[in-house]
Amino acid sequence: MKNRTYNKKKIFFVFSCALILLILLFGRLAWLMIFRAEEYQKKAQQLHERERDIKAARGEIVDRNGKILATNRTVCTISVIHSQLKDSEKVIKILTKALHMEEAQVRKKVKKISSMERIASNVEKKTGDKIRNLGLDGVKVDEDFKRYYPYGKLASKVLGFTGGDNQGIIGLEVQYEDYLKGINGQILTITDARGIELDEEAEGRKEPVKGDTLKISLDANLQKYAEQMAEKVMEEKQAEKVAILLMNPQNGEIFAMVNVPEFDLNDPFSLPGEEKKNLTPEEEQDALNRMWRNECISDTYEPGSTFKIITASACLEEGVVKLSDRFHCPGYKVVEDRKIRCHKVGGHGAENFVEGIQNSCNPVFIDIGLRLGVNDFYKYFQKFGLLSPTGVDLPGEAGTILHKKNRVGQVELATMSFGQSFQVTPMQMAATVSSLINGGKRITPHFGVEVTDSEKKKTEVFSYGRKKRILSAKTSETMQELLEGVVAKGSGKKAYVKGYHIGGKTATSQTLPRSAGKYISSFIGLAPAENPQVLGMCVIYNPKGIYYGGTIAAPVIGNIFRETFPYLGIEKE
Amino acid sequence: MTTFKVRVKKYDLTLLVVLMLLILAGLVILYSTSVYNGEVKFHDAMYYLKKQLFATALGLAVMYLVAGIDYHIWKYAAVAGYVGAVALSVLVLLAGEEYNGSKRWLSLGPFSFQPSEYAKVALILFLAWMVNKNAKKIEKITILFKVLFCILPIVGLVGASNLSTAIIILGIGVILVFVASPKYVQFIWMGVIGTGFMTVFLMLESYRLERLLIWRNPEQFAKGYQTVQGLYAIGSGGLFGRGLGRGIQKLGFVPEAQNDMIFSIICEEFGLAGAGFLIFLFLLLLWRFFVIAVHAKDLFGALIVSGAMAHLMIQVILNIAVVTNAIPNTGITLPFVSYGGTSIVFLLAEMGLVLNVSTMVR
Repeated sequence: MKNRTYNKKKIFFVFSCALILLILLFGRLAWLMIFRAEEYQKKAQQLHERERDIKAARGEIVDRNGKILATNRTVCTISVIHSQLKDSEKVIKILTKALHMEEAQVRKKVKKISSMERIASNVEKKTGDKIRNLGLDGVKVDEDFKRYYPYGKLASKVLGFTGGDNQGIIGLEVQYEDYLKGINGQILTITDARGIELDEEAEGRKEPVKGDTLKISLDANLQKYAEQMAEKVMEEKQAEKVAILLMNPQNGEIFAMVNVPEFDLNDPFSLPGEEKKNLTPEEEQDALNRMWRNECISDTYEPGSTFKIITASACLEEGVVKLSDRFHCPGYKVVEDRKIRCHKVGGHGAENFVEGIQNSCNPVFIDIGLRLGVNDFYKYFQKFGLLSPTGVDLPGEAGTILHKKNRVGQVELATMSFGQSFQVTPMQMAATVSSLINGGKRITPHFGVEVTDSEKKKTEVFSYGRKKRILSAKTSETMQELLEGVVAKGSGKKAYVKGYHIGGKTATSQTLPRSAGKYISSFIGLAPAENPQVLGMCVIYNPKGIYYGGTIAAPVIGNIFRETFPYLGIEKE
Repeated sequence: MTTFKVRVKKYDLTLLVVLMLLILAGLVILYSTSVYNGEVKFHDAMYYLKKQLFATALGLAVMYLVAGIDYHIWKYAAVAGYVGAVALSVLVLLAGEEYNGSKRWLSLGPFSFQPSEYAKVALILFLAWMVNKNAKKIEKITILFKVLFCILPIVGLVGASNLSTAIIILGIGVILVFVASPKYVQFIWMGVIGTGFMTVFLMLESYRLERLLIWRNPEQFAKGYQTVQGLYAIGSGGLFGRGLGRGIQKLGFVPEAQNDMIFSIICEEFGLAGAGFLIFLFLLLLWRFFVIAVHAKDLFGALIVSGAMAHLMIQVILNIAVVTNAIPNTGITLPFVSYGGTSIVFLLAEMGLVLNVSTMVR
């Protein structure tokens, strides 16, 4: 058969179709590669790029003298990349020796076919450097930061600790997270579909910024001494726990906040002794939470007689009592149908107000409390700042637990006058008493002083608001004198330090339920009485044997004052 | 010696040069694309290139051989070749090797062989012979259907495991009949009826409709992954591409990048310019086919070349259309570029046929 003209026309027709279709497809291609390019490129890039965080070093926490309380330690993670191993026997031998591990364990991990196998983490930097310097093929040493607390358990419940991602979990580590955490850096890498980085494609690197240094008002030396004292009295009195607070009543700076038993900040997830055994995970978590709890701010208690400082201040300020007013204590006082006892069974007999406070006489305070009345009592509660949190810069502060005003009768008012039937935190007591005896201005207790960046430049100095007047200077001065009398002549004698004017007030309160026969003994002291520079508070929970605050808590503060006055620069008169 | 020289001179030189350029470009691209997969799967970056090089060498030898044989001889082998193709297609259904879920390969010791690739060449020769024989009466609709009926067994057999190749074979058949016939209108009707059948075929099974949905919105379907990754690769190329070997989508993002989707990697590495140049090479090749077919000594030669042209254009157009998501996804390789030994050997054999036809142009 011949190849006819119509055949040729048809062939031309077919070729033309191919030509047109291919031109159309080229058009489609041009559309995709020019007008849709940006969109697809962006999507492809998102697919290829992996951001790998470079951990920023967390800022340090230093005490008022610049002593480092929390810092970072460089630790290493040792891994092997199976495909890069050349001499696995040599690697097994060296790693076994350097890391003090079982050979079988190392062998199993080295021989495992995986893209990257972690052999050991939290390895000392020295060991890590040694392994890196050997330059073994397929062995990778990565550096990482781990939070480190040089003093171990010192101020554990104040400082807090950090979790796996280096974020604060409790205490100041949480409160100042934003300052401390720094800014993580990033490495932008290109990976294949399996997520394996392509070396030659590394594109960008953003350097991490170290967290800022937080300077706090805590004094490591005072804290340490206070902790020793607290442990001593806890052991002597077989107490459940002991809290000690030392602060500057003029500006609210806290020097020490002790809650023994403390825990080891470098190992915060281990329960002490036998406790850990036979616990369900929930029970274990509860136990840990209890161990981490900062009782000074998170737990409330009935303050007892130390609260008489507040009742006295209110009554003097309101003018319902004068120092020369005379009282008579038969050992009890009848309010409505109730007979409320004084702690001295036979009674204190005839006494004036100054003696009444030295004796810590309940009938005297019931008397003046009733004179003040429910309305004014609550007015001063509010005015002195007892109804709102102290604002201390720690997470988890508990509020005051108090009867509703309209439910308070004469009996309730009588018991409240000497510090019963309501609850406050030790921190609230210390802050309120500080404010009453510092000249009468409410202070905010705090730790945070200032923040400096990695170049030691101050980036922020914390201020704690205008100090509001809550008591006249005159009444405040009277209170100083009255409290000095308590230590010089009254129930606080054991806090006396020779050569100094010490003020203070003791308390012994029975915990609820009263039938359990458990007590909280406490003492609040201040010095020098006429211009207080330091306020100390000791709370002993559930002591065995003698439980009077004047007998067991006052000497603790007395001791601390005696040993630390030279250090604090408080001079003998 | 002299006769040899004369014959060399008579080969279509442009066709040869374009073909060699395509083969060379194809090998370079295949290497660049398959390094990663070779490394990951076989721990040998050269794995795919080595196999493809071997097949290409074999193919070139076959091409040289076929180019030297007077194509009229194939008239006598056409029926036997066709029966052989049917037999092999039956065999592959019974004893074929499964790969990615379909039976397409026959194992011959260390080599594997894809009968459907052979079937395309066998069909071109068979149809060229058959249509040539019936050329006078081809305008009669009955003869036309008789011819098309003859290729149904192979379309059905291949289609059982490989729908795309069946469509290519059917397409080659229709184009050959079209070239031989002086009429146009009946082909329009064929087109209409074909479209109707296609619609019914799609409606019958919901999974085929799903393909259409995936085609419109590939990003919303897990099965659209390959398409989407191909589009990312194309879009990433821009005007001039990332450069040879610098593509990222081939690193496991586009699955089996050396196969059907290789054109997307060409776009990524060489940009619109490179992809356009490749399309231009294919067009040149098709143009040479057209020239040779038009000048062929007789209808048989013209039909052989038309068949080869139909084969090449259908595969190139469908492949690029799939990769650019202009049509729903179906597995079609890009001639001379995609990885596949059987394909390149038989493509080159076909080129040998075309070259031989080109030596006898008037």
